[in-house]
Amino acid sequence: MEFYKMSAREIAEGVKSKRFTAESVARESIERIKTLDKKYNSVVTLCEDEALAAARRIDEAVARGEDPGPLAGVPFAVKDNFCTNGIETTCCSNMLKGWVPQYDATAVKNMKEAGAVLVGKTNMDEFAMGSTTESSIFGPTLNPRDTERVPGGSSGGSAAVVAAGLVPVALGSDTGGSVRQPAAFCGVQGMKPSYGQISRYGIVAYASSLDQVGPIARNVGDLAVMMDVLAKEDPNDSTCDAYERPSFSGALDGASLAGKKVAVLTGYDKNSIDAPLAAAIDRAVEICREAGAEIIEAALPITMEHTVACYYMVALGDASSKLACYDGMRYGHHADGRNLSEMYKKSRMEGFGEEVSKRILVGTCILTRGYYENYFVPATKVRQLISDEFKELFRTADFLICPITPVLAYKRGLSETDPVRMYLGDVFTTIANLAGLPSMSLNLSFTPEGLPANVQILAPRFGDAELLACASVIEKAAGEPAPVETE
Amino acid sequence: MKRKVVIGLEIHLQLKTKTKLFCGCSTDYIGATPNTNVCPICLAVPGTLPVINDHAVDLAVKMGLGLHCEIQDGTRFHRKHYFYADLPKAYQITQYEHAIAQGGYLDVIAEGKPKRIRLDHLHLEEDAGKLVHPTADGRLSGAAYSLVDYNRGGMPLSEIVSMPDMNSPAEAIAYVTQIRQLARYLDVSDGEMESGSLRVDVNVSLCNPDGSFGTRVELKNINSLKSIERALEYEIARQNRVLDEGGALVQETRLWDDAAGVTRSMRSKEGARDYRYYVEMDLAPIDAKPDYVERIRASLPEMPWDKRDRFMEQYGLSLEESQQITEQREMADYYEEMVKAGAPAAKAANWARMEVQRILHEEQLDITKFPIPAKELGTLIAKVEKRELSNTQAKDVLAAMFGEKLTLEEAMKKCGASGGRMTGDALAAVIDKVFAAQPEAVETIRKGADKKGAKAKFLQGLVMRETRGSADPAEVAKTIAEKLG
Repeated sequence: MEFYKMSAREIAEGVKSKRFTAESVARESIERIKTLDKKYNSVVTLCEDEALAAARRIDEAVARGEDPGPLAGVPFAVKDNFCTNGIETTCCSNMLKGWVPQYDATAVKNMKEAGAVLVGKTNMDEFAMGSTTESSIFGPTLNPRDTERVPGGSSGGSAAVVAAGLVPVALGSDTGGSVRQPAAFCGVQGMKPSYGQISRYGIVAYASSLDQVGPIARNVGDLAVMMDVLAKEDPNDSTCDAYERPSFSGALDGASLAGKKVAVLTGYDKNSIDAPLAAAIDRAVEICREAGAEIIEAALPITMEHTVACYYMVALGDASSKLACYDGMRYGHHADGRNLSEMYKKSRMEGFGEEVSKRILVGTCILTRGYYENYFVPATKVRQLISDEFKELFRTADFLICPITPVLAYKRGLSETDPVRMYLGDVFTTIANLAGLPSMSLNLSFTPEGLPANVQILAPRFGDAELLACASVIEKAAGEPAPVETE
Repeated sequence: MKRKVVIGLEIHLQLKTKTKLFCGCSTDYIGATPNTNVCPICLAVPGTLPVINDHAVDLAVKMGLGLHCEIQDGTRFHRKHYFYADLPKAYQITQYEHAIAQGGYLDVIAEGKPKRIRLDHLHLEEDAGKLVHPTADGRLSGAAYSLVDYNRGGMPLSEIVSMPDMNSPAEAIAYVTQIRQLARYLDVSDGEMESGSLRVDVNVSLCNPDGSFGTRVELKNINSLKSIERALEYEIARQNRVLDEGGALVQETRLWDDAAGVTRSMRSKEGARDYRYYVEMDLAPIDAKPDYVERIRASLPEMPWDKRDRFMEQYGLSLEESQQITEQREMADYYEEMVKAGAPAAKAANWARMEVQRILHEEQLDITKFPIPAKELGTLIAKVEKRELSNTQAKDVLAAMFGEKLTLEEAMKKCGASGGRMTGDALAAVIDKVFAAQPEAVETIRKGADKKGAKAKFLQGLVMRETRGSADPAEVAKTIAEKLG
């Protein structure tokens, strides 16, 4: 059977109704990873034995007449910065190579408890820093839609495994667009929920106030089921809000845009956006209009002007702080030195790659007395202004549609030749992280060359269910992206 | 030249919680095998996040209220960065700009004079781990390697920062003593300096001739009240000497070497680190809404100074007596229970300060472990007051109660004091017995040759001994005089 063409919900349904076994689904997924992933390099650790054992447990539960959960037997993969009990977790860095956590991240635990089967850990930019999945110590991941091109980053591996049909769903982490931008480059659906919606416990941190777990799938319905599973209060994460979550998949039933106001972002140079992406936005807006929504225009002058600078101040300051625990003392790469200070220096020099070292140094500088007052403090003030600008916008609008990236998936090497351009590519995604908003990368179409064109939809904080509903309406008209066909 | 001394203190008080400040690890680390009270969170294993221990917040608020501070709602934690082997996250989570308790003061009595010492603030923070250096003196120099014990890492501390309001070592001692007393009254900390539950850093400077503050020196590594006094005296003398000789002081941190009785330079201001303080985004701001603060305020016991004043007023005790008895809340409770059982206030105070303290001291006991119920001791003292027992008898009874774990009744029986005072015929019989044994003395008195009544006193003493103090000395004297008169 070709399970890889099925949605997660179809797989769970089939497993629960005994049409096929979870074990057969897991076997197909593992087989595909073994054969096809040689081409993409999206999986860095295959969990074959663990996956087959977990799948058999699901089958046994079904045989006993139990309900193993909404994701029964669904194979999934997680970015290698999620802690997985007994399975190496490296952040694709020499610093953590060989490190095996003794616990599951809450998101991983929730997926497993819903019956999902972990089949592998996916490739990423080292410590989630990058937009191309090229800075991994395991080598770059290639975009399954076009292997000449990058899959985006930093959750490039997680977007690629879904696009290649190796698993129906995967988890990434999104600090400044790290789920949505690779989803866009690989032509799948990816979401960054509201900050505080999903527990961050067990994700190796990049920046505490920006990081959020993000689900990746090939359709909005699967994202919604994952949100039902993932979005829960967690006593281990104080920033994971204690509030009654709505039914995210329930929000999709009979979803409509009648009477809704959809804002379209203006105030940027339309010509700076690749034409197929501009066309995708027009098409998304048209679908909303046809679905009964009122279309308005919205300019976000402060956001558009300052977001990238503000983002890098906040993110790198935090990163320098969060990555200070890698000192070679208790875990991770250790180098001997003649004294404590030399040991720290050597361990960190050898453990961290170039991009990570660069960001730690910039971040350390930003938090240093003098720079802190002149750079960091203003950045936090600007962040508040960005947040306020969105609050004002969402007083009148229900959603905002804008580009997710200015360019289509590009060829490898840009992060080395033009890093600033790579950073500036984050202009549309970082806003959601700075303001804590839910945001979606939604596939609209493919270019004749087969490159995906996605758009971004944003909603007010904790409007995640409404966001999914809106996306499902657009998806219904535009169609779901299929996995890459391989011969 | 005599310069005015200016002293400010930072006190680290270890809060009495069952678990650490940001994780569920036990705080019971004294004597524990190294690195057994640790978990992924306090070891900063990747992916872990801190979660605030609400009980620690309760205790900090309690202490803050006891110190007359303003409790702040929505205060945040900061990360204080530095690389060191005992600090797993490479930052300490502490309160920097926004301490939970602001302002406040403490009224103390030093050298008999009242003094108000203002506070800057009280904040919450986590402790670091402990480095163990395998050298003879336990210090780093000369150690080929060092061991780290993270059991102490993440322990909850409240840091109390005073204003530079103290002007003598005596005032500093009075302040520390009273902070410790308050912490114990509020059951916020056990306040033991020896075990590190209460740690003091001292800032000391001498005023310039124009009255402005002089160069400040911080003294660390002080772990007893006695050391605070000695360190301050040494440092004040040192600073005076340097200035007298026309020298200049440098702003620095100095370590107190208790064995040598000197302070030594540890690091100068030039070596001061930039901690890159940064808001701890993994923790939400602390909720300390007014109704919560009022709830804590309502739960506060009577403050030690209020108790001290009330005891003086209500029981007519002197300042010194009242201070001694209220030093420990349990002792004050013990005292009040004795009074309730009928012991007169002044006598009960004497017994508490003399007899009870003596036993506690001899047996190395704490009042909480004192086995004799206050009610029984109070009853015993009441009997003395009613002249049913003599003082000597009562002390024998107390000794029996303590030594042989007897009840009051049993002990009185054992000491032959259950019958109360020996009077009348019984007393006359004892006197006759003594007369029979001392014919010479009797003869001397009868002849009227007892110069200055020495022989009569001698007989009286023998009678008292024979009755084990149960006779009334006045009655004994009277009966002897009658019989020989």
